[in-house]
Amino acid sequence: MDKRIFKEIDYILLLSLLLIMTLGFINLWSASVAAGYPFQWKQLQWYVAGTILMVGAMSFDYRELSKYSVHLYIFTVVLLLLVIFIGKSVSGSQRWISLGFFNLQPSELAKLLLAIVISSYFAQEEKEQFGLRDLVKPTLLIAVPFLLIFKQPDLGTALLILIIYGSIVLFARLKWSSFLIILGAGLCAFPLAWKIMRPYQRKRVEIFLNPDADPYGAGWHVIQSKIAVGSGQLFGKGFMKGTQAQLNFLPEVHTDFAFSIWSEEWGFVGAVLLIGAYFVFLLRCLNIAQNTRDRFGSFLAFGITAMIFWQMLINICMVLGLLPVVGIPLPLVSYGGSSVITTLLGTGLILNVRMRRSLFQG
Amino acid sequence: MKNDREIKTPDAKLILRKFDSGDKQETQQFCTWCTLFLLGCFLFLCGRLWYLQIYKGAEFKELSKKNSIKYVRLQSYRGNILDRAGRLIAGVEPSFNIGVVLKDVHDVESLIGQLASLLDEPATDVRMRLVAAKNQPSYLPVIVKRDASWEEVARIEARLYRLPGVVVEVAPARQYPYGTVAPHLLGYLGEVSLEQLRSGNFPHAVSGDLVGKSGIELRFEKRLAGKSGYKMLEVDAKGRMIRVLKVQKPQPGQDVQLSINLDLQLAAEDALSGKSGALVALDPNTGQILAMASSPKFDPRIFARGLTQAEWKELNNPLLTPLVNKAIQGQYAPGSTFKVVMADAALQERVVNPYTTFFCNGSFKLGRRRFRCWKRGGHGQTPLYKALVQSCDVYFYNVGLKLGVDKISKYAFGFGLGKKTGIDLPGEKPGFVPTRQWKLRRFKEPWQKGETLNYSIGQGFLLVTPLQLARMIAAVGNGGKLYKPEFILDEPPVLQARVPTSSWTLKNIRRALIGVTEDKHGTARTCRIEGIKVAGKTGTAQVIRQLRRRESESMAWRYQDHALFVAFAPADNPQIAVAVVIEHGGHGGSAAAPVAKAVIERWLKLRSPKPSTIIQRNL
Repeated sequence: MDKRIFKEIDYILLLSLLLIMTLGFINLWSASVAAGYPFQWKQLQWYVAGTILMVGAMSFDYRELSKYSVHLYIFTVVLLLLVIFIGKSVSGSQRWISLGFFNLQPSELAKLLLAIVISSYFAQEEKEQFGLRDLVKPTLLIAVPFLLIFKQPDLGTALLILIIYGSIVLFARLKWSSFLIILGAGLCAFPLAWKIMRPYQRKRVEIFLNPDADPYGAGWHVIQSKIAVGSGQLFGKGFMKGTQAQLNFLPEVHTDFAFSIWSEEWGFVGAVLLIGAYFVFLLRCLNIAQNTRDRFGSFLAFGITAMIFWQMLINICMVLGLLPVVGIPLPLVSYGGSSVITTLLGTGLILNVRMRRSLFQG
Repeated sequence: MKNDREIKTPDAKLILRKFDSGDKQETQQFCTWCTLFLLGCFLFLCGRLWYLQIYKGAEFKELSKKNSIKYVRLQSYRGNILDRAGRLIAGVEPSFNIGVVLKDVHDVESLIGQLASLLDEPATDVRMRLVAAKNQPSYLPVIVKRDASWEEVARIEARLYRLPGVVVEVAPARQYPYGTVAPHLLGYLGEVSLEQLRSGNFPHAVSGDLVGKSGIELRFEKRLAGKSGYKMLEVDAKGRMIRVLKVQKPQPGQDVQLSINLDLQLAAEDALSGKSGALVALDPNTGQILAMASSPKFDPRIFARGLTQAEWKELNNPLLTPLVNKAIQGQYAPGSTFKVVMADAALQERVVNPYTTFFCNGSFKLGRRRFRCWKRGGHGQTPLYKALVQSCDVYFYNVGLKLGVDKISKYAFGFGLGKKTGIDLPGEKPGFVPTRQWKLRRFKEPWQKGETLNYSIGQGFLLVTPLQLARMIAAVGNGGKLYKPEFILDEPPVLQARVPTSSWTLKNIRRALIGVTEDKHGTARTCRIEGIKVAGKTGTAQVIRQLRRRESESMAWRYQDHALFVAFAPADNPQIAVAVVIEHGGHGGSAAAPVAKAVIERWLKLRSPKPSTIIQRNL
């Protein structure tokens, strides 16, 4: 292995990653007290395991992955199929596979694996611009895991996979005409999607549009989350002193609404610090995608960046009452082994791309 | 073309696909746009945070406080009402209220049905109470049944799990250890009305509270009510208490000790039971009220509980008027009891002396009209003593004519009639004393001599309340002093006025009034009590003027005469003065005097060093 590559580690990226994990751990401590279960220690285990896997993901040449993209794709689909047959069901959704020590959420892993597969696909397809016809094959490829996840049901993750796919397609440069056609078709398909959606999913969208219609029922989460964030004011209520979270007015403080408790307890200053850390992290990732000469590396870095970015944006918008409630975690801050490991693995791959950038200088 | 861009790296046999230079430029450009997009998103999220946390922060802070902080009102215990000996007439004990938290009710109609059958009440009543509370926040319980019985609470509690939203609360409620005593004087409690809340006279009350609605409960509301406290609680999303943040203890209301003697009061109420009327017993030397009863009584607890339709109808009976405190609100013609005032006026104005006689042949001719004496055969030669003892109307017709309306009214006012006594109770009526000027003003007619005759025997326009009568007769007993009637034990006596009289005049009247009960021909022999001398005067007030009294006995109850009796005892050193009005009771001597007697005897028994003598006599 070339020793040069260690000089190519992006330390700003690592520092921002460390900051996010630290803040996330502090926050989870408070959320664990509120939820009445010591999630923070388990999360610390995931951080450690994830970091080890991240180092692992840096240690080989990422281009190997391109060779195994078909295997990865099949692995993803099999995992998702396994969920259907041997999956664990929690509150109506069958999303987990029990591995004894750990409940794996394959849909989380699928985000990363599919980002790799799609990146690999478009890196190999060499075209100036992609048209509609070029998208048929990858779209069909994506449709299988999408439907499997959609059926779990996990609308949030399913849509996220579409969004990651779309981001990579845009990165690969789609024809403007094709882009407009897809956009138009998407809008036309909206009523159809509405029909396919389950009643509770429809309700979430309705509630998002008008949360005050049922403040004690379905609108509760949105309203309470906004109250939590807003009541934090400039400096917050203090660590473990957020009444909204600690008195259980907020649901799911350790997972989907983790940012809510953070904003309540640390205020505007804390919230901007955490968002800022994310953006520094994402900007560095984007920079790697931008400055990599290798097509696959660039696509891969961009795809993973998009995955983390969209999760963060959607989760925070949801917490701030700007999007309907969908089950998308805030990377590294929400509790969840699959999510943490996926994110850190992805980060490892981005760093991998960065480290090997110098190899192509010549 | 392809091979140009494929280079092999030394450490791995991997294919490296480089971008075309043009391709790369495009990608770089795209990434620049992405960077800008990222920054835009960052600013957008910061903006949203600023809006929620800074711009609207204070508002959300309030909301979060409201979420987690709940105030629980701690109701103060209402002050007790005691009799003069310190016995508890009205106290407070915990009671059960059955309420409904509408927020937690799924099916209101079926709940109404269930509650109605469990509480054995018409569904309409239950619904009414729920509807009445439409405006209050839905998380506060609406009380559908106050002061529920043990059986009702047990029935509800047993089914509580099937009645979501139904709560059983413990709340202080008025209890009456001696049963219903003097409900008119004490008044009753009811849920504070919107008007009362708006009036500002009930600053301590909140919607749903019980406040005094009449009598002492209303008059001394502030003193009795005390001050409610509160508990500031931190609660979680399920409303469970996490901890108590602050406690402000309630201040219990102050006790009110009445000058009422419970024994006398009970005796009065017993004697009045089954009748419609009132009794007032005063201490003539201080003006303190020893008993004040009005009949029929009502149960004050039913107001707090919420009236049923049937109860409401009964309470508003237009004939019996159970809600009216007849002792201060009933206005009656005094009938012959007014002759006490007439006698005083006659002696004071020297139109007669005690030996002046008038001849009574059963009627008196004025112009072409004949005015009857109640005794058809007449009383013959009648001096003052006989006129009072036998209540001769003709004698007082003569006296009245000699005095004239102006003098009579002057003395009527002098004895405290025609204006409020100033008793510290809401709703006192002033009665009415007619005057020549009033007649002219009111009817545009001059005063007629015939009206003077009616006036002289306490009929016509003259109206008095039982309380005024009691004070009037007390003044005869105490040497002419008019005290403010007082029912609070600790209040010092207030001498309001002196009756225009002299001790000589009073001596003569008193002698005659003793004769009323003691003399063979006295009209109130029924009120004779062995061992002490009772000075009294009967009265019979016509309800319908035109009819002859004898005929009235066979008439419907509501057209029958009112029976009145005023008395004080012992006559030479009066300790108690009593006025009794029995509506449609017939003759004062037969209907009203026994009631007064019962009270005076009871008083004697309490006073006597050897009560056994009285008890024996009763047997």
